[in-house]
Amino acid sequence: MNRLKGKIKHVERSDNISLVIVDVMGQDITSIVLQGEKNPIYTVGQDVYVLFKETEVSIAKDFSGEISLRNRFHCKVKSIDTGKLLSRVNMRWNEEDISSIITTASVKRLSLKEGDEVLAFVKTNEISIMEL
Amino acid sequence: MIEISVRKKLKGKISEFELNIDIRIESGDFVAVFGKSGSGKTTLLKMIAGLINPDEGFINVEGEVWFDSRKKINIPPQKRRIGFVFQDYALFPNMTVEENILFAMDVKDYRSLDEILKLMEIENLRERKPETLSGGQKQRVALARALARKPKILLLDEPLSALDLETRLKLQDEIGTVHRRFNLTTIMVSHDFSEIFKLSNRVFVLSDGKVIKSGKPEDIFIQEKISGKVKFSGQVLKIEKEDVVFIVSVLVGNNVIKVVSVEDEIKDIKVGDTVLIASKAFNPFIMKV
Repeated sequence: MNRLKGKIKHVERSDNISLVIVDVMGQDITSIVLQGEKNPIYTVGQDVYVLFKETEVSIAKDFSGEISLRNRFHCKVKSIDTGKLLSRVNMRWNEEDISSIITTASVKRLSLKEGDEVLAFVKTNEISIMEL
Repeated sequence: MIEISVRKKLKGKISEFELNIDIRIESGDFVAVFGKSGSGKTTLLKMIAGLINPDEGFINVEGEVWFDSRKKINIPPQKRRIGFVFQDYALFPNMTVEENILFAMDVKDYRSLDEILKLMEIENLRERKPETLSGGQKQRVALARALARKPKILLLDEPLSALDLETRLKLQDEIGTVHRRFNLTTIMVSHDFSEIFKLSNRVFVLSDGKVIKSGKPEDIFIQEKISGKVKFSGQVLKIEKEDVVFIVSVLVGNNVIKVVSVEDEIKDIKVGDTVLIASKAFNPFIMKV
C-alpha cells in the first residue's frame, strides 16, 4: 500500500461520517471515514499516515477539464513493471514514492514511459487513515 | 476462576528483580503469556505447578487454595490438578510411550489411557521409546501425559517452538481441541503471534516480573490503528504471484478470502502467518442471500 505521513488540518463531521483533511507536504489529502460527532477520534494537529492501495490509484497524462476526484498528486514516472494484463507504475511525488497498478492496455494507451509528468488520482473513499 | 497473587525475588541476567503478579483467569479461558526471556514467564508457570514457591502470596484455583504464604498452605505438585508440557518434552527416556502416560496417573486407568492414545493419534506408538520418535510425536506424547492427570489447568511452556511449521500448525489445532473437549483452563507461554491469535482469548504481557499489558490478542498486538471498518484477522494459506501483483489466500473463520497485494506489502508475510485484512466501509458490496 502507499503510505504518506501527514498532519490533520481540518475535520468536517456529520453524525456518523467525517471528512478528514490531512496536510501531506503542503498538499491537502481528504479521507472520508465512518466516525462522526458521536465518537470523534481524529483531532486537528494529530500526526497520521494516509494509506491507499496501489490498485486504487488512477493515472492521467496531459489532463484537462474537471473531475470529481479531489486527491491528486503531480508525479514523475520513475519506472514501469509491465506484466501481461497488469502493470505497476512507480512514481515520485515530492520526496515520496507512489505506486499504481493499472492495466497494461492503459499503459500503452497513455504511452506511459519513464520521465513522464502525470497526475495520480485517488478517490476520497479509498484513503484510509492510520494513527501513528 | 483462578486467582494468582504472588511475589518472589528473582535473579535476572543483569540484576535482581521482583516478580510481582496479580492476575485473575476465568475458568475455561485460554491464556497466553508473552514477554522477553527472563521476564518471569516460566517462573509463573512453575509457581502454579508448585515446582517453585513464591516468597509470599496466594494461588486459588476454583475455590481450592493451592498456596497461601500467610496460612502456610502449600499443596505439593503431585496433588495439584495440572498438566505441564515443556518445550523439551521431558519424557522419561527409559519408559515406553504407554509407561510414560501411565506414570502420570494417580490410579492406573487403562480405559482412559486408550482414549487418550486414540485422541492424540499415537496408539501405534505405545510400545516405542521416546528416542525413536520425531519431535512432533514426542510432543503428542507429552500432551497425552499431561492429560492423563485429568488436569483442571494445562500449562504449556513454549510447547511447539522446536517444531517445524507444518507440525506446529497441526498440533496447534489439537491443543485447541483438547482445551475445549476437556473444559480446561490453559495457560501457554509463547513467542509466536499467530499461535497466540489462533488459540488464546486473553494475553498477559510480562516485563521484568510484572504484567504490563493484558487484553484480547487483537487489542494487544494490532497496534496499527487503521480507520478501515471492515477488518478480519486470519491465517495465510497461500501466496501466488500473478503479473505484477500477488494473490494472497487467507483463512478467515471457515472462509477463504483472496486479497490482491503488491510485493512490498507482503515481503514480511509468509504462509501460516496471522494477518489483518482491512478495507474501508465504503467499498464492500452487500446483498441478500
